[in-house]
Amino acid sequence: MRSRIAGLTFLGFGVLALSFRALPASAQSRAETLRYVTGASVNTLDPNVPGSTREAFAVSLSTYDRLVSFGRKQLNGKWVFDLDKITGELAESYNVSPDGLKLTFHLRKDARFQDGSPVTAEDVKWSLDRAVTAPVLGKAQLLTGSMTSANQFRVIDPLTFEVTLPEPDKLALPNLATVYPIIINSKLAKTHATADDPWAIGWLKEHTAGSGAYVIESFKPGEQVIMKRNEAWNRGAPEKAAFFKRVIVQTVPEPATRANLVERGDADLAIDLQASDVQSLESKGTLKVISTPQYNAVTFISMNNTIPPFDNVNVRRAIAFALPYDDMFKAALFGRGTPLFNADWKDGKPTTSAFPFPQPVRLDLDKAREYLKATGMPDGFSTTFSFNVGQASTAEPMAALVKESLAKIGIKVEIQKLPDAQMSTQINEKKLPFFTEGIVAWLPSTDYFYRNFYTGNQRWNYASIDNPELNALAQQARFEPNKAKYDEESLKLNAIHVATMPQIMLWQPSQDAVMAKSIEGYTYQFHRQVDYRDLSRK
Amino acid sequence: MSSLPALFGVLVFTFLLMRVLPGDPAVFFASGPNAGKEEIEVIRKQMGLDKPIPEQLLRYLYDVGRGNLGKSLMTGQSVTTDLRERLPASLELTLTALFIAMLSAIPLGVIAALRPGSIVDHGVRLLCALGVCVPTFVSGLLLIYVFYYLLGLAPDPTGRIDVFTSLPPSRTGFLTIDFLLAGDLDGWWVAVRQLILPALTMALFVIAPLARITRASMLVSLGSDFVRTARSVGLSWWRVVVTYALRNAILPVITIAGIVFSTMLGANVLVEKVYSWPGVASYALDALLSSDYAPVQGFVLLMASIFVVVNLMVDVLYGIADPRVSI
Repeated sequence: MRSRIAGLTFLGFGVLALSFRALPASAQSRAETLRYVTGASVNTLDPNVPGSTREAFAVSLSTYDRLVSFGRKQLNGKWVFDLDKITGELAESYNVSPDGLKLTFHLRKDARFQDGSPVTAEDVKWSLDRAVTAPVLGKAQLLTGSMTSANQFRVIDPLTFEVTLPEPDKLALPNLATVYPIIINSKLAKTHATADDPWAIGWLKEHTAGSGAYVIESFKPGEQVIMKRNEAWNRGAPEKAAFFKRVIVQTVPEPATRANLVERGDADLAIDLQASDVQSLESKGTLKVISTPQYNAVTFISMNNTIPPFDNVNVRRAIAFALPYDDMFKAALFGRGTPLFNADWKDGKPTTSAFPFPQPVRLDLDKAREYLKATGMPDGFSTTFSFNVGQASTAEPMAALVKESLAKIGIKVEIQKLPDAQMSTQINEKKLPFFTEGIVAWLPSTDYFYRNFYTGNQRWNYASIDNPELNALAQQARFEPNKAKYDEESLKLNAIHVATMPQIMLWQPSQDAVMAKSIEGYTYQFHRQVDYRDLSRK
Repeated sequence: MSSLPALFGVLVFTFLLMRVLPGDPAVFFASGPNAGKEEIEVIRKQMGLDKPIPEQLLRYLYDVGRGNLGKSLMTGQSVTTDLRERLPASLELTLTALFIAMLSAIPLGVIAALRPGSIVDHGVRLLCALGVCVPTFVSGLLLIYVFYYLLGLAPDPTGRIDVFTSLPPSRTGFLTIDFLLAGDLDGWWVAVRQLILPALTMALFVIAPLARITRASMLVSLGSDFVRTARSVGLSWWRVVVTYALRNAILPVITIAGIVFSTMLGANVLVEKVYSWPGVASYALDALLSSDYAPVQGFVLLMASIFVVVNLMVDVLYGIADPRVSI
């Protein structure tokens, strides 16, 4: 009897082992395929659709062209996008009139959409009209570049297109290189437009009508996107098609599985692994790890400046000097990023006109206690510190350290972990007193940061500050043509930031791109995703 | 038919529950770098959230009545399409897992019951305890680590099929069946290989309740008069144990299996996540985290309907196992 059971068990394991016998290798050429794995998913093929994900942005970068695109530069030995170098994509060349009010684009003569029809200025006009008039995401973005109405766009001849600006806005041209102002095949799109949907938003969500480097082969929302190379595309740097014949963008929710896939060589690239996995993969040395500080992003500890006791500047200062910055940086990010603390300002003057900047704050409990005494609450107070579940891997260790350190000066902190949708709702309703969040700016100039993240009663003004001097300076800097003056205004803005301490900048986390050793050309992009067109295999 | 009021209740309850939960889907989905009030309003309108809740409910019920479960913001598709694509994946996984579990649990339970207190019995108990106390994501990651990462025997744990294999024409949605129908044996093998590890992970977790209930119920029937009689007249071992004892002991096992199946289908979210399995449970979890109302409601309705169907099937099986039971 017993031997029979043993025999059965043995047989069972035998069948299991046999069942894994490897299949003959897939015939398709793996070397010409890029397999990118991510925890997020692509939910639309048109980046303009409200609710589109960042992965959807990345796909649209490859399936559509824009008029212009950003160049790239080296920053501490790593390739990053260059906001100051704008090159033509569908435009062969462009000029800006001396007064800065007219941008003229000359389109490529050889550019064709994926269905073979030529790209004309009419298509450009229809696409940009759509971006500023239809209920799409492009509207709010192009607003930051003073483009608000279809009247500003004019077709001069089939290959020449002109944009007129009400003011010489420095951000108008860079705005046209962002994700939203894609150039759509207007003839094709119009055939799918309906009376309710004159801009074909519904159709373009599931279909592409672009001229980009890749053609969608299959699209399964939430699972995977497979793209094949558009052989006719020649907008890459050396005037030839993209390197990879096929790109597979696959959603793999479990970060440990993503790490395994890349390590085993089954996937080529991932940018959203856990910091601890990146650390161990880097130490093994079998993969290439490129860590780029996200220099257009910042992680904050924010305080709502309208909710007591955070309406008192000394409370905010006390907290700024009571945070264990170095420990937090190590525990949350394993030191992977650029710290924005422990700076020294001689005579209390800002040392840089750039934003974000290292602040002159450090852990100094005595100083913190003094500030707290000045508020009339020497014994401290109680508050809650919130973060969202999506950020838990970094925010959880950080929150514990914040709680521990603030307890030393008498501030009792209760940690609150919120589902992502709840967190964004409460931030939008300005209900959270004390929390951590991050921001990102596609066009990271100092005035842009201050205008978008420190003014107005809107969601991204986490600190809910309303400082008339800051508001005026940020507006003035926007259209400041003189570089020296612009720097001066930026310095003043930075000085106000430290003097009023509306929120505390912690760091700029690194983007850790982990890839097979053979992958080359990875560039950190403004949208913080991978631009598949940059990549090649050696 | 009698289950219709229950389904209706579930529908209304989930609808209200989703609206009571804090978290505004419009704010969440308007998370682009420049999304402001206007974008939030657009999404709210698109989802119909700008209308009062009673009106939303009526509209929703009307839509559901016509077979439209609404649209998911997360995937950008209609919930019906999403569920139709994902349910077969979940069903295929769950059925395979249940099959593996039954196949191992019933013999284990019978063996344990034949010699209560022996080493075999303790061994089965230990195995069951291990299966239950190791959470599925731990056993899942462990299996991946051993069979994929260390040994390289299993295929990469990313979904139902190798990314390089082309899909068969979809007839049933069950890949293993579709491949067979298409006569593509290589493809079938690819799909089976992808299925083994996740199914095994799930099976490990549910072997325990099935084996324990088999053992308990076998003990009762082995100790009963009819078995003693059967033994005394010298019937063969097989006949006594399988034909008489097991058949009488199987009723509670079927009940438990029905419950286990329904639970597995909804609760296998961890397995689905670990193996990137495109099933309904991980879909519902993602939707819940982002407060995407329509998919969550659709999922709950689907689960409730499946529960009703499973209960019905359990009743039918009862009749087969025990002719005295009539439905």
